[in-house]
Amino acid sequence: MSKLPDNTPTQPKAEHGTLASYVIGFILSLVFTAIPYYLVVTKTVTGNALLATILTFAVLQMAVQIFFFLHLGRGPKPLYNVAFFVSTVGIILVVVLGSIFIMDHLNYNIMMAPKATTTKLAQDEGIAQVGGEKTGACADIGTNHQVIVQNGQMKPLRVEAHLCDSLTFINQDAATLTIMFGSYAKPENYGGEIGVSVRSGRTKTITLNQLGTHAFHDHLHPGATSYFTVTKNNGVY
Amino acid sequence: MAESVVTGELNHEAEVNDRVMFGFWVYLMTDLLMFAVLFAVYAVLHGNTVGGPTGSELFSQPQALAETLILLTSSFTCGIGMIAARRGNKNQVLAWFTLTFLLGVAFLSLELLEFGELIHEGYTLSSNAFLSSFSVLVGTHGLHIISGLFWMFVTLLYILVRGLNRQLVRKLALLSLFWHFLDIVWIFIFTIVYLMAYV
Repeated sequence: MSKLPDNTPTQPKAEHGTLASYVIGFILSLVFTAIPYYLVVTKTVTGNALLATILTFAVLQMAVQIFFFLHLGRGPKPLYNVAFFVSTVGIILVVVLGSIFIMDHLNYNIMMAPKATTTKLAQDEGIAQVGGEKTGACADIGTNHQVIVQNGQMKPLRVEAHLCDSLTFINQDAATLTIMFGSYAKPENYGGEIGVSVRSGRTKTITLNQLGTHAFHDHLHPGATSYFTVTKNNGVY
Repeated sequence: MAESVVTGELNHEAEVNDRVMFGFWVYLMTDLLMFAVLFAVYAVLHGNTVGGPTGSELFSQPQALAETLILLTSSFTCGIGMIAARRGNKNQVLAWFTLTFLLGVAFLSLELLEFGELIHEGYTLSSNAFLSSFSVLVGTHGLHIISGLFWMFVTLLYILVRGLNRQLVRKLALLSLFWHFLDIVWIFIFTIVYLMAYV
């Protein structure tokens, strides 16, 4: 037997994939992409069930990549690379889940949060009262009012609403619309927000949870200022 | 006598291969940890939009799907290229890896297009914490893709000029490991950033 020349490629070994394993892996990965995408687009399942489903498919997808493409676990024994991978996954779970858990609870437990944050939090959670003070959270949403923005003009210029009604901004212009509360010279907060941003052709709805007359303006065309007046709704709130 | 020398050399070669592969695997795992931290940051900050648009208003689902399919296909063509490399078929290696390279370029172009659109509409890295964490996570993956493409380009040039030898097959094996790894990271970006924005 003659000596092998240096440019002879290495022989295929058992740990490397075959054409069949790559084809199967590829088909499975397409299926595991299509299913969660379909579920999200059609909203066949919603909420936490949808969340759990698409995360499961992500993990299945990862398993496909690892077994059919990376061929993990088919190398020479002992399998140090598998051990290393498993411990890495362990660290990842601690880092990611730990961060989410801690930060979620931090936001809720923080004592010295700015008033706007507390108000926003209470409204998101539907807490009507904190320490005897009304937060402005609405249990039911009333009538919907609309403000249409076209060619930089807002219509109507004045909206009359009751507490806990909703107000929808409709942007019919090509540019993104930035509505700021208050006048251009004197910005204010409404419901813990300084303004809302509406992309071209989209809408955004806010809940009117603060009484009084409030101005708002288009940040890019500060000339036009509109108002909405929120009055009490005969003891509903 | 001659035979045992050959076997010895091959055993040594295999040992070096295993060691290099393991070393590269360790690098990939540390890289994965970095991505995990970026995912954690995104998970914590994705709601902090300061009144700006959320993910469901900014992201295009079909575009994210197209990017995913392109990257999955490139992972597949890369694997087929590796089979050809182990068989020593230079022309097939060049063909499959060029296809992988082009798919990588297509993926990158779509990603740059998306970032360009966001910047054009005034949403940048510094707009809010949501966009910062999004840009850093997706941008870091994009940078990995760029370096992978550069690596692939250089390796293909080597193969074109010098032909396919054992060292180059080993380099291709590392490269394909890297490429499949980026595919795995992208699957989680697709799920956690693009799909979960609509849940």
